[in-house]
Amino acid sequence: MTFQDFLIMRHEIVLVAIAMIVLIAEIFVSEKNRKSIIPIAITLFFINVLFGFCPAHTGQLFGGMYKTGDLQILMKNVLNIGVLIIFIQAVKWLKEPDNMDKVSEYFILIISTVIGMNFMISAGDFLMFYIGLELATIPIAALAAYERYKNRSAEAGIKLILSAALSSGVLLYGISMIYGMTGSIYFDEVGAVFTASSSLHVLGLIFFFAGMAFKISLVPFHLWTADVYEGAPVSITMFLSVISKGAAVFVLFIILTTVFKAVMPMWQDLVVVISILTMTIGNLFAIRQQNLKRFLAFSSIAQAGFILLGILDGTSLGMTSVIYFVLIYIFSNLAAFGVVTIVAQMSGKENINDYNGMYHTNPKLSLTMMLAFFSLAGIPPVAGFFGKFFLFTAAAHQGYYMLVLIAVLNATISLYYYLIVVKAMFINKNETPIAYFKSDFSTKLGLLICVIGIFVIGFASPVYEYINQICLTLP
Amino acid sequence: MEFTGTQLMFIIFSAIIVIFSILTVTSRRILRAAIYLLFVLISTAGIYFMLNYQFLAAVQLGLYAGGIIVLIIFSILLTSHISQKFEKVEWKKSVFSAIAVIAGIIVTLTAVLNYQFEANNAITQEVDMNLIGTKLLSYDRGGYVLPFEVISILLLASMIGAIVIAKKGKKV
Repeated sequence: MTFQDFLIMRHEIVLVAIAMIVLIAEIFVSEKNRKSIIPIAITLFFINVLFGFCPAHTGQLFGGMYKTGDLQILMKNVLNIGVLIIFIQAVKWLKEPDNMDKVSEYFILIISTVIGMNFMISAGDFLMFYIGLELATIPIAALAAYERYKNRSAEAGIKLILSAALSSGVLLYGISMIYGMTGSIYFDEVGAVFTASSSLHVLGLIFFFAGMAFKISLVPFHLWTADVYEGAPVSITMFLSVISKGAAVFVLFIILTTVFKAVMPMWQDLVVVISILTMTIGNLFAIRQQNLKRFLAFSSIAQAGFILLGILDGTSLGMTSVIYFVLIYIFSNLAAFGVVTIVAQMSGKENINDYNGMYHTNPKLSLTMMLAFFSLAGIPPVAGFFGKFFLFTAAAHQGYYMLVLIAVLNATISLYYYLIVVKAMFINKNETPIAYFKSDFSTKLGLLICVIGIFVIGFASPVYEYINQICLTLP
Repeated sequence: MEFTGTQLMFIIFSAIIVIFSILTVTSRRILRAAIYLLFVLISTAGIYFMLNYQFLAAVQLGLYAGGIIVLIIFSILLTSHISQKFEKVEWKKSVFSAIAVIAGIIVTLTAVLNYQFEANNAITQEVDMNLIGTKLLSYDRGGYVLPFEVISILLLASMIGAIVIAKKGKKV
């Protein structure tokens, strides 16, 4: 192995370097200047995002344990963009006096989670996949308990770590069955011999899928989601609902279409059932929520059900639609969460009723929120519509017309509850609406990026073409 | 039905593992649960010895039985009162979890027992320490240097995570 070979891993190496620089900066920066860590970390991460788009070597390392191609790089870039927006939106929250003394830990932990996700996406065997998964989970549980002085945050942390441990146990049990039957942990070797010849094969696949379903919070493995999303700091909730979910979906897609390619009809049945359950239950529970964070938690469960439609089609069409949808979902969900965050910080209000009449006092925020919800619901002019449209196309491509019908019905239901919030902001009368406030620069910037993203990805076809071109190289 | 010595040893070890695992999760005193777990881990090491995995057995004894149990007991002593007993679980909950556990056991057992595992004819011999060391740091196929290094990042992140949780905030 030469130095040139190591450059194949540059996404991970750059992230490790950034984490180390922040760690060292923490030592040298004095107590008073803690704030300066924030711009340092964000600038470094911004450079990392740009660097990610530079042309790169592809190939595999360590005897196939680490693989990277254009597809993997694209996935990492999509996640990087999301993390950058989360960092920008978190600045105001990080500057609160209670959180100031743990700023660098926040950045280091988030970056190490991203390192884990990158290794997970590039994994060529179950061992690297598992270590990446753990690296993507354990730090985030510590971050969920970041606001330690709040009971809810501590509760979120413990719930997340317990459910993550349980799901990892189930996943490992499935992997151990697969290893016992095939005698290998390398994806290519397992994929070559894995068939649906016995019930143990089926069980191994189901356990593996159940473990991943916990991470993506699919029904019936979703019970931890609402409590954790509500209790954790919003910045971490954003990360969980967008980045963690996106990374897990990518990896699930890669493994289902490479390792379990031979048993595709089997996991397709599984995905259909789980998808219907997830969409319907996520939607029905979202209608009942009053707290906006819980509301967004259930809406994100429902969105995960839609993403499964893209996974059903194990070809490049499905891959394109999944990546495209996740990209749009990042911008839309982060915009919605961004508004909820700033309103909660300025007025302490999180319920839907509190938003009554907000348009008259804070028109810009209301418009942003409306755009985000239109995009999540999939109303034509904005990006979300195209995202859902391609997902439905992918599922229809495999002949799942009934499923697409159910998905469309669910999309209509979701439109109802998104519009309830929009109606509250624009039409409902309120004697004491949320007072006018000025947002700080970083929040504005974060929301602006999201709004631009929602419009540009929807209207500019080059984005879709770019993703599609890379996915067409899929074997 | 006659048992060979190895089979008898296996039955004893697995019986200890099963019984003490159940005791670990049902015990209402947390310190006792930790000690029951110790027995489970030691018996697992016994099974490794039976399979001639000396290295793994030593690691199991040294790290898990020795290190981790001590850590668990330390954290129990630091955070809770030893005399404290957990509340009794409602009978409804225990009935449902018992049904779930038994159903799970039936499903996995039927699947595992129905599978025709290929008999392994390789002669069991002690794994060379040299080989383990080389494999652990090899970057070829079958080498483990990458996971080895990534785990160090995982451990660093976990330590920092522990600091985040333990660091004293201004409000308590």
